[in-house]
Amino acid sequence: MILAGGFWDASIGRLGRPADTRERVTANMHLYAVLPRVLDLARLDDAATGIARDMDVSIAFAVRGGPYVALDFKRGSGGARRTGLADVVLFFPSCRHLNRMFGGEKATPIPLWGLHRFRDLQRFTKLSDRLTQYLKPSDDDMADPCFRKRHVELSLLVGLAACREVADLDPRAQRVATALHDGTIQYSVGEEGPHVTAKVEHGTISVAPGRVPDPTTTIALRDLDFAVALIRGEVDTFAASGLGDIRLSGDLALADKFNHLFDRVGLYLK
Amino acid sequence: MALYKFDKSLALFERACKVIPGGIPGHTSPAFAVAGSYPYFAASGRGCRYKDVDGNEYIDFMAAYGPVVLGYNDPVVDAAAARQREAGSLFNHPTARSVELAERMVALVPGMGWAVFARNGSDVTSYAVQVAREHTQRRKILMIKGAYHGVQAWCRDGTGGLIPEDYEHVHAFAWNDATQAADLVGKHAGDVACIIVTPFHHPAFGDQVLPAPGFFADLRRICDEGGIALVLDDVRGGFRLSMHGSHAYFGFRPDLTCYCKAIANGYTLSACLGTDAYKGAASRVFFTGSYFGGAVEMAAALANLDELEKRGAVPHMMAMGTMLQKGLADLAAARGLQVAISGPPTIPYMRFANERNFRRMQRFSGEAARRGVILHPHHNWFLIAAHQEADIRLTLEVADKCFEIVKKEFGG
Repeated sequence: MILAGGFWDASIGRLGRPADTRERVTANMHLYAVLPRVLDLARLDDAATGIARDMDVSIAFAVRGGPYVALDFKRGSGGARRTGLADVVLFFPSCRHLNRMFGGEKATPIPLWGLHRFRDLQRFTKLSDRLTQYLKPSDDDMADPCFRKRHVELSLLVGLAACREVADLDPRAQRVATALHDGTIQYSVGEEGPHVTAKVEHGTISVAPGRVPDPTTTIALRDLDFAVALIRGEVDTFAASGLGDIRLSGDLALADKFNHLFDRVGLYLK
Repeated sequence: MALYKFDKSLALFERACKVIPGGIPGHTSPAFAVAGSYPYFAASGRGCRYKDVDGNEYIDFMAAYGPVVLGYNDPVVDAAAARQREAGSLFNHPTARSVELAERMVALVPGMGWAVFARNGSDVTSYAVQVAREHTQRRKILMIKGAYHGVQAWCRDGTGGLIPEDYEHVHAFAWNDATQAADLVGKHAGDVACIIVTPFHHPAFGDQVLPAPGFFADLRRICDEGGIALVLDDVRGGFRLSMHGSHAYFGFRPDLTCYCKAIANGYTLSACLGTDAYKGAASRVFFTGSYFGGAVEMAAALANLDELEKRGAVPHMMAMGTMLQKGLADLAAARGLQVAISGPPTIPYMRFANERNFRRMQRFSGEAARRGVILHPHHNWFLIAAHQEADIRLTLEVADKCFEIVKKEFGG
């Protein structure tokens, strides 16, 4: 089965109405920023690690007039790509359909290919349910410090990865993105982390867990509680900078631009 | 010496955060300096020095980001303002000060035939663009990539509160690249109202770049050939390079020019001046504000312009700026550090040459503030006419200590 990402991306240039743009940006975030986090989950969460270790499959999500992503599970390792073949292809007739599914509404994909890999699909469903739990946790979940730390890391990875999508597609963020210069921004929570790094290279944003040597910009968040509040959109970042809850160092212009992109992410991903 | 602490600044900032978004909004936000190693709130000033709310005193090289050009609380300017205040400032009508100031500025700035007054730089840069559009009956604005012309929607960079349509008719070209400007004029043939430029390129977080030989002449030619207005945003440079405007310093001829920072020594005033050809369009653009007629500010501006001339302020600031630049470069080199200092001596910008992430500069700036000298880590500095050689020498003593700290921490 050949599914080239370019085919599915063909409508980018035809975005018109604000509602179309909103659905498309959100769909891109779901596929490129949220979904690949199942691979991070397999690194962070013991139960997810066990599930992923049994998987040797590629699963693609294809949206008509929208994004395409293939997730590769290789017995504990893996990756996400925007083009190429997949063993299983799940089709969504529209961005809105995909977004409804991610929003928890009754919207299911159409299996185009690879339905016989139903055991892998079951495993994937378990992974995605676990990811949902981390990204939309209950108060009881958050009482566990380990859970909270993983929630913060996964949420930061989602938020930063989603910056690329607003930079590419959100009309206002595009204006900010044109002024983005190359560099690395390291987000750290306290001394013990988590640490997450975003990289801008030739205008494209990528994210990865962990620290990098000599980042262009360092954004140090006071602690996990503060990071949770930041993720929930409860923080005035300028005030927090002055109060020392966020410690900025390095290229603050890059931090400022990323802050504007991050603010836009919250308009699409709740 | 005991290093400065900022406890009262921080306490006041905590209060501020409860009632003011961001605590301190805009360019003076601690987020843009070195939070925790920098004062947040000022208390009083005199000459080239001011005190913060903790009682720490600083030799200042930011000048309230430019407006303080003679010095804080200059007695001559303040006396002129006080005399006007006694008579009154705002009325149902403008006062004679508005006519006197317009006459003074038109006489001072070559090529200009009229002046209007407002409050901030953004007011007059946006007004100038409107005048250009009215005069040409065109839509497009060409500006320099990374240039700052204020906070109005047309010239912002996609941040909060904007919609794409706000800057739909604004297009950017690279500083010193007149070919790019010509290309844009060609692309939007018959629809370009103005090219707006600063007299030298002064982006935040970046080296300042002087105009290349022929750059302004090329822009002038492009504008003349295309019937386009050449607008000079002299808000930052005005009266720090030349008393006759920065176009006189660099030798070119704008159609409209905008002043603000150094016009009234800290009193809230801005001005747009234009050639006679643009006077009709200027009169058709409705331009007003509750406080645009404030006579106290105009009286202060009249006194300030007189004093700048009487004291030879520009050449003095040039000399002090040159002393500062040379001193910093020599001290850094003696410590085995490389600094890059750019821009005119009265508005210098310094960074460490071998870094792109500002960490050495942030450390340098934070340590300088804790020792009583304000040298911003990311923004250009401003010389003040009140700076004397003794102030520069003291500043260099502090800078040397800060260079030593940077060297010890970063190794070069």
